[in-house]
Amino acid sequence: MRARAVTVAAVLLVSLAAGGCSGDSSRPRGEASAAPSAAATAPGPGTPADTSCNPRASRRPSAPLPKPGAMPAGTYMRTIQDRGRLILGTSQDTLLFSSRNPFTGKIEGFDVDMGRQIAAAIFGDPDKIQIRVIGYDDRVEAVDAEEPVDLVADTMTANCDRWRDVDFSTIYYDAGQKVLVSSTSDARGIGDLGGRKVCAAQGSTSYDNIAAAASKPVAVARAGFADCLVAFQQNEVDAISTDDTILVGLAAQDPYAKVVGPRMSQEPYGMAISKKHPEFTRFVNAVLERNRANGTWKKTYERWLGDLGPAPRPPAAQYRD
Amino acid sequence: MSTAQLDRPAPAPGPAPGGVLRRVRALRHTSPGRLQLLLTTLVVLGLLTGLVAGLTAAAARAGTDDLGDRAQPLLVEAETIYSALADADTTAAQAFLAGGLEPAELTRRYEADLDRATTALTSAARRTPPSGTAAEAIRTLSAGIPRYAALVASARANNRQGLPVGASYLSTASQLSRDSLQPQAQMLFRDARYEVDRGYAGARASWWSALLVVLLAALLVTLLVTQVHLSRTTRRTFNIPLLVATAVTLALTLTTAMILTGQRSHLNDAARDGSAPVALLAEARIYALRERSDDALTLVARQGSPEPGKDPYEVTSRELTRRLDQAGRGTDGSARQAVDSAARHRRDWENAHKQIRALDEGGRYDDAVRLAVGEATTQTFTSLTGDLGRALEDRKEAFTREIDAAGRGLGLLTVVGPLLALVVCGLAAAGLRARLEEYR
Repeated sequence: MRARAVTVAAVLLVSLAAGGCSGDSSRPRGEASAAPSAAATAPGPGTPADTSCNPRASRRPSAPLPKPGAMPAGTYMRTIQDRGRLILGTSQDTLLFSSRNPFTGKIEGFDVDMGRQIAAAIFGDPDKIQIRVIGYDDRVEAVDAEEPVDLVADTMTANCDRWRDVDFSTIYYDAGQKVLVSSTSDARGIGDLGGRKVCAAQGSTSYDNIAAAASKPVAVARAGFADCLVAFQQNEVDAISTDDTILVGLAAQDPYAKVVGPRMSQEPYGMAISKKHPEFTRFVNAVLERNRANGTWKKTYERWLGDLGPAPRPPAAQYRD
Repeated sequence: MSTAQLDRPAPAPGPAPGGVLRRVRALRHTSPGRLQLLLTTLVVLGLLTGLVAGLTAAAARAGTDDLGDRAQPLLVEAETIYSALADADTTAAQAFLAGGLEPAELTRRYEADLDRATTALTSAARRTPPSGTAAEAIRTLSAGIPRYAALVASARANNRQGLPVGASYLSTASQLSRDSLQPQAQMLFRDARYEVDRGYAGARASWWSALLVVLLAALLVTLLVTQVHLSRTTRRTFNIPLLVATAVTLALTLTTAMILTGQRSHLNDAARDGSAPVALLAEARIYALRERSDDALTLVARQGSPEPGKDPYEVTSRELTRRLDQAGRGTDGSARQAVDSAARHRRDWENAHKQIRALDEGGRYDDAVRLAVGEATTQTFTSLTGDLGRALEDRKEAFTREIDAAGRGLGLLTVVGPLLALVVCGLAAAGLRARLEEYR
């Protein structure tokens, strides 16, 4: 944990030094409520801070998919193939999307399966994947770090801020921010939580949305959302607010918690990829395109999120070129 | 020379500033006066010597007892608390890494660690004054350990139900242990080391000893001067009672010197062969435990190797190497063998750690975990801490031996010192009174 704290602190320093242009919104804990200027510039609920782009539009796949194990020379896919494994950056505490299975010790979920499908497309073997856990406020930097990950699939919202630093794949999941409260609470949304402590992961867009909510709740940051659940169960916070998908995973672990409220925001999830090799983004989009069409996406949804109801139509791909 | 004389007004105006001084000065000019002066000096010196001999012995004894019964055990208990907490943290991380239902052996070890920590905490509380940093540390630990145990219990309960939030409970517990509990235990340990240093100073009772030496020398000189004076002014060459008094004083001086130098030499041995290596080895064991814990937590975090320069393992590793080197140089006999064996197992463990990091870096996380929690690595590491524990026990025994030896004779001196001094006073009085009678 200390190793992680050190990394988090280092990343904080880096992003502060960079003047926050990294697209991350990490801020030292507890400073949110005391920083009106920050709250003023942060995105309000449902209104993205930056509408200069269409965050859903990604790079169009070019050529047809190469055969697994035969990546064209000179491409980044070939680099990955030669290395022998795909490095996926994700978290290990988001039940249903990417969490550690306590029985097997393996990290699994919807996001991990997205990564495994890319690995399968490169190698023909979904197991040729190395999972590296990254902090929530480390997701943008991770693809261009000294020891970069190839791909970040970590319930990461594609927005224009982040588009400046990284490429996103086409949208693979549509989420929206809601609130988790105690099952005895009368609150029906973020509007009823004025002055109460509401937790979110440090560096997530959810955190900004809490700080910017009109009802003025007190935003509390933790390293991850499961740490928020610990804080919730220890009565350190009154509620947790983030994407409904994550909240469902948390509520599944606590019978005294419920998810309430309308969606405060649209959170389209994309996989983050470095801008240095656009051919890989196009490749990933091609894989997504194929998997939407051949029912793989639907099967993945049913496997992890089947309890939420029947699988909806996969988010339609949009392209910017 | 009663104080009543002081209260009287000066009997007659004169050049002398005070009546008493003038009278004393007047005594010097008559033969019986001189004898009276010598007798008074001898008796006063004798009584003072007796008093100081008793006090010196009592102070040295109290200091030695405090060192052996309070300061050093406090150091050992502080080390127990610290290493038990570090071990519990390491064990919990190992159990988590192993995945699935935690192995019963690790659970037992964790429970035993907590037991050791709380037991040591209770007795450390008894040996600590109710205010000060040590007491503050004990209060924080007393409140924190149950909270830590509760967090680990929640982690386990969640883990049993297959809920991933268990992992977060465990990391919260680990954070509490590393950021709050272990630093407090470390503070207690440092405080105890300081107490031990102070304990040695107290046991040496240096000021009292110096005063005693001065008094004994003064008494001997006065006895000799008196005898020389008597043999010059009377026809008798020897004054038997004074001669015996001199012999008794010499005997007292020799006994005191023997007991006190013996005590000091044993104290020095206890410091060199006991306290110093105990502190070193205790720190070495703590750093070893931290190494394993750092290794496990890096795997738990799954973030790859920390950047060079920011790796807590590097710092811990440097400190451990330093402690092992020092401990190797500062010990001999079976402790030295144990330290050498520890250094060998340390090399094996370092190799295992490098292999674990290489596997993890190479994307073979599962193999890295298997190696980290595997039988062979655990065996190597247990041998390392076991060796350090053996060396520690050996040095603790050496300390107890030396402290027991240092305390020997001090009790005797407490009684015999004042008694012999009284005998000297009596003999001096007897020897001089006979001469004084002759002037009546």
